[in-house]
Amino acid sequence: MTSTLYLDRRSPVHRLNPVTKLVAMLTIVVIVFAVPLWWVAGLIVVGVVVPAAVVAHCGGRLLSLSLKLLLPIIVVLVLVQGLTFPGGKTVLAEWGVLALTTEGLLFALGIGSRIVCLVLTSVLFVLTTHPGDLMGALTERGMSPKFSYIISSTLQLIPAFRDRADGILLAQQARGLAVKGSPLARVKVMMPLLGPLVLGMFTDVEERSTAMEARGFGSAARRTALIPVPDSTAQRVSRWLMLVLAVAAIVVPIVFGVL
Amino acid sequence: MISLTDVSYAYPDAEALTLEHVDLEVERGSIAGIVGASGAGKTTLAKIIAGFIPHADGGELSGTVRVDGRDLSTGSLVDAVSVVGLVIQNPFNQISGAKYTVREEIAFGLENFGTPRDEMQRRVDEVAALLRIEHLLDRSPYALSGGQQQLVAIASMIVLRTPVIVMDEPTAQLDPAGTRMVFDVLSALRETGITIVIFEHKLELLQQHADRLHVVADRSIVLSGAPDDVLADDRLAQWAVGTTRYVTAGRLARERGLLPPEVPLPVSFEQAERVFDRERSVR
Amino acid sequence: MSRADAEGVAPVANTAGADPVIVGMEVLIEDVRFSYPSGVEAVKGVSLSIRPGERVAIVGQNGAGKTTLVRQLNGIFRPTSGRVQVGDWITSEHTIAELATRVGYVFQNPDEQLFARTVRADVEFGPRNLGLDSAQVARRAETAIEAVGLSGVADLHPHHLSLSERKRVALAGVVAMGTPVVVLDEPTTGQDAAGVDMIAQVVAALTDAGRTVIAITHDMEFCAEHFDRVIVMAGGQVLVDGHPRDVFVRDAELDAAAVEPPQLTRLARALGWDDQPLSAEEFVGAFARRGAHS
Repeated sequence: MTSTLYLDRRSPVHRLNPVTKLVAMLTIVVIVFAVPLWWVAGLIVVGVVVPAAVVAHCGGRLLSLSLKLLLPIIVVLVLVQGLTFPGGKTVLAEWGVLALTTEGLLFALGIGSRIVCLVLTSVLFVLTTHPGDLMGALTERGMSPKFSYIISSTLQLIPAFRDRADGILLAQQARGLAVKGSPLARVKVMMPLLGPLVLGMFTDVEERSTAMEARGFGSAARRTALIPVPDSTAQRVSRWLMLVLAVAAIVVPIVFGVL
Repeated sequence: MISLTDVSYAYPDAEALTLEHVDLEVERGSIAGIVGASGAGKTTLAKIIAGFIPHADGGELSGTVRVDGRDLSTGSLVDAVSVVGLVIQNPFNQISGAKYTVREEIAFGLENFGTPRDEMQRRVDEVAALLRIEHLLDRSPYALSGGQQQLVAIASMIVLRTPVIVMDEPTAQLDPAGTRMVFDVLSALRETGITIVIFEHKLELLQQHADRLHVVADRSIVLSGAPDDVLADDRLAQWAVGTTRYVTAGRLARERGLLPPEVPLPVSFEQAERVFDRERSVR
Repeated sequence: MSRADAEGVAPVANTAGADPVIVGMEVLIEDVRFSYPSGVEAVKGVSLSIRPGERVAIVGQNGAGKTTLVRQLNGIFRPTSGRVQVGDWITSEHTIAELATRVGYVFQNPDEQLFARTVRADVEFGPRNLGLDSAQVARRAETAIEAVGLSGVADLHPHHLSLSERKRVALAGVVAMGTPVVVLDEPTTGQDAAGVDMIAQVVAALTDAGRTVIAITHDMEFCAEHFDRVIVMAGGQVLVDGHPRDVFVRDAELDAAAVEPPQLTRLARALGWDDQPLSAEEFVGAFARRGAHS
């Protein structure tokens, strides 16, 4: 069962400490929001995200997933901003009250390029970082084990929940419940099954908490980890550098008023 | 090792007691089998021995529960679970959900207690070999069958090496070969001084492996004794507890005058072999 | 079990008027192979013919392909090759819901099956899907709940019952559908002695009424005492198929399937008896005969 989007590949990107990747992602987020220039976002995509995706052998999956997420956003953005941008002066085409303006398109480009950059960066992060490893790395840095447990178990339990829903549906079909093909009909059929499914999950949660307590989940001992999280001096240094870069991206435009 | 004296318990908001005047003694390094009809209060008893009652479930607990010389009702749940391990019925709900391989799943408890990494690795490998699940170590715990999950749940508990382990029907989803292996493992653990309390319906195996049997009925422990004595007791049927087929056959032969009443009822295969063979040779 | 009980659990689906006459159905499995999408072949060429009213136990280790095989009967799985026929229907030509009118399936884990707010409502779910009128639905549910000994808790939420009780609710839910074929996956796990007796009585009532029962079980005593045909599986294939008396002497095949004969059968063999007693009654009978002869 695949519980997350994680792609199990051997690559230098996969081997990076999850915290390094997390910091890199956050740095990009900060830069892209602090520096409102479309070509900065473009440069990050071309100069950082795409090479990383190639090295990680995740290019295809990154492209297909991102397209699914981005296409509707971009279409809406271009239509809405390009056609109805209030400050639009340079009219390229006109239909009644709607006017396609250069200013509108530029504005859409500004927003769009940042969204593209953010989506690509976060999808690549998810594709190359195992949530378990991320939680392990964060717990090692003092994040509460309970918080880390909640995140990782939710990620795993969602597919478990889906499996159980499928199982219950199957069992009801085996008792003569007719399920027609259309998604709407399926949803209708599933509705009465949802209540008990949720109730069942609550009983499960209770039992699971007993089982987890029995395995020392409430222990105050400092947690150890079976599988060490890889790290290196180079990564530590680069994390600090990225932090400096992010701070600079915020401070420089304010202080010097460059933009 | 385990000593319950006059223990009574009612769940929060319950009108009636679930258990009443329970006395139970389990020696260090022994296997205690607990049998009883479903709904007799076995799961509640398991939670009391493991300290989950009253720490997690609340309710009214009276009497004393001492495990390894300590009163479990004082102190915290963490204190209790570092002495008593608990394996619950449903293996699916014992998967932490936070781990992506069986290997990490088994280590989960060790991580919680802060066990050093190299010791963890050694202990996980050891327990996996013991339960013959080495081939599952790199699989996802969710991709296993019910029986395999049950073995992982057992491994996840015995890896902690608590002095006492309580197991609520740990072999329900296992086939006979798997069940036999689990009982063999439990016998081996007993040899290392670990005390085991097992709630089971599989009587022939309890007869072979348990040092004592205790019958739960009418909200209390109504009979305790050596497996041979307990399984031959005439009152088992009235408590909705079965027995081995050897006893059933012996009793039937006795009723028909084929076995003299002074011959003890055979409880095990070996005893039955002697009883039914001797009878033939006598004639 | 009284005639009334048998009638309540027996009738085949019919939407018109009073509960109809019982019809048995033959099950034919012809050279069935089945591979999971992962590529693992779990059933490797099984052929069986099961007559109406037979009590068939399927035994073997976990992973032997037992559940995968019986799930072909009601269309949860479709054979990768070969075919399965229930009465005049070829399963691949019918939906799971249609096949549910012919083959009832009790899941091993009741929590995958139970979903209604009360035991009664859950048991009524199946018969209602068959389009029976509410009086018939209520009558069937009542009888089935009584047969599994749960009348006292019929109006409770299934989640308030113990696992063994929930298993019996799941059984009642399928029995109440009145299908000609009933498949039980590990019906006795977690049951106490009384629970096993109750399930055995339900099996007997079903087959007395001409319905076929096919059960997967690890419980050899249950198998020997209540079934008249045992199928031993290993590695996705049938190793032996026959009357328990004939099957429990096939040492090589039983070994290969890691199946151990029931207690008294083993005992009789160790004593050098050539009869194959399957129950205490038969064992003591054999013992008596021996006493008289020597």
